[in-house]
Amino acid sequence: MKAWLRLNRELLHWAVLAPLRGQPWSVAETFRQMILIGVRALPMASLVALSIGLTLAMQSAGEMRKLGAEAFVPDLVTISLLRELGPLLIAVIVIGRSGSAVTAELGTMKVGEEIEALEVMAINPVRFLVVPRFLAMLVMLPALTVFGDCVGIAGGWLVCHFALDYNTAAFILRASDRASAWDLWSGLVKSVVFAWLIITIACQRGLDVEGGAEGVGNATTESVVWSILMMLIANAVLTGFFFFAI
Amino acid sequence: MMPIIEVENLVRSFRGRRVLDGLTFSVNKGDTMVIMGGSGCGKSTVLRHLIGSLKPDAGAIRLFGEDIVPMDEAALANTRRRFGVLFQSGALLQSLTLAENVALPIVEHSAQLDPNIIDLMVKMKLEMVGLTGFDQLKPAEISGGMKKRVGLARALALDPELLFSDEPTAGLDPIMVAVVDELTMDLTKKLGMTAVVVTHDMTSAFRIATKMIMLGTGPSQGKIIAAGTPAEIREHESPEVQQFIRGEADGPTPLRMCQADYVERLIGHPRHRRRDFPS
Repeated sequence: MKAWLRLNRELLHWAVLAPLRGQPWSVAETFRQMILIGVRALPMASLVALSIGLTLAMQSAGEMRKLGAEAFVPDLVTISLLRELGPLLIAVIVIGRSGSAVTAELGTMKVGEEIEALEVMAINPVRFLVVPRFLAMLVMLPALTVFGDCVGIAGGWLVCHFALDYNTAAFILRASDRASAWDLWSGLVKSVVFAWLIITIACQRGLDVEGGAEGVGNATTESVVWSILMMLIANAVLTGFFFFAI
Repeated sequence: MMPIIEVENLVRSFRGRRVLDGLTFSVNKGDTMVIMGGSGCGKSTVLRHLIGSLKPDAGAIRLFGEDIVPMDEAALANTRRRFGVLFQSGALLQSLTLAENVALPIVEHSAQLDPNIIDLMVKMKLEMVGLTGFDQLKPAEISGGMKKRVGLARALALDPELLFSDEPTAGLDPIMVAVVDELTMDLTKKLGMTAVVVTHDMTSAFRIATKMIMLGTGPSQGKIIAAGTPAEIREHESPEVQQFIRGEADGPTPLRMCQADYVERLIGHPRHRRRDFPS
């Protein structure tokens, strides 16, 4: 916890204050990390989002048919994806794929004396390694979330169009009529908070690895477990905040 | 002349075990100081204190006249720009090519340089360690000895005033040992660089050293048991030093233990022996 707070303080310094004093972070490395963290996760994220969109539509159609409320399926799919399932599921994918990879990579560097070598060369590891990953995650997780929302809604449309005889125009009208811009924004606020939690936990666990290959393995497991736990808690808190305060 | 490195009464313990016990020595400009001693005697630990990776429990370490022990990160970073370090494993960044590894300190500390000039500097440094043409390989694709030489090229990238090497010749073939030794001697004699080398390769140590210290093991753990010029060390009267530089198995540093209690050591003390089968 203490180490995590210290990492946050250093991140603030190296990401925001130091560039103003002429010590910028590497833009090229940030883009490289954006590809590794975000772009490479696209196929998996779209697959998950599509399957969730499909199942959500099928499950709700089954229940709503009993109430004669099949017309509400697009509303339900769109709103639950935008507000809740989109940010949450994409974050789970990114934790499993990119968060663990970041911890393992930094941990291996720590074990191989690479971090120490950077420090001795007067290159701050937080500026050199953590800041590009942090910025990449902060941009790519919300971007992936928007993408996942779209794919998920397309999945909902597939079910509505082919199984419920909804026509496309009606689906779009219905969905865009019911979902407001705020539904999207609240999901994006969540995914920015998730991004910050995931990458800071992953980096901190990686930089604090001790004790060889076993240490790297333990740190990776801990990183995934803590990221998911903290993300779910943050999700509950944020949903409560949006529900009661706004 | 003011010494480049001054270490005073350096003390460091790990989990109650005193690894360094009151070391005091100094290194002048242009000297090549060799730190020797058996495995586990704390040679690398001394080096890691000198480069600021570890903080001592007590004592002062002055580099270029300034004590690095109480320094904060920023001040330490300024001092670190003036020296190069070769790690035992080479410690290259696995995600970068060899050329990018060598270029790293140059790019980070003199970003305004033209990329062509950086490229030229990198090629010069790789040429120095005999690795021309390998610049686009990744560290995982080369041998341990080559990694070490790239590590040396990286340590020398900014033409440091001071070079720390941790076992620079371990894992190299005899010809490459000579090349690395000559490189170190060239740099100290012609450019006035100062070098601190940790090694237990005696041929190499006596070839490059202008000063030597030897750390003790066992009862004299963490203390300097001999210090002086290579000639003085060669003639040193301590049997421990003589055993070490001649590389003999028998001597004051016990390697073979007593034959008498061999069985007892293997199966534990008779009083603690398992009693679940009749003897």
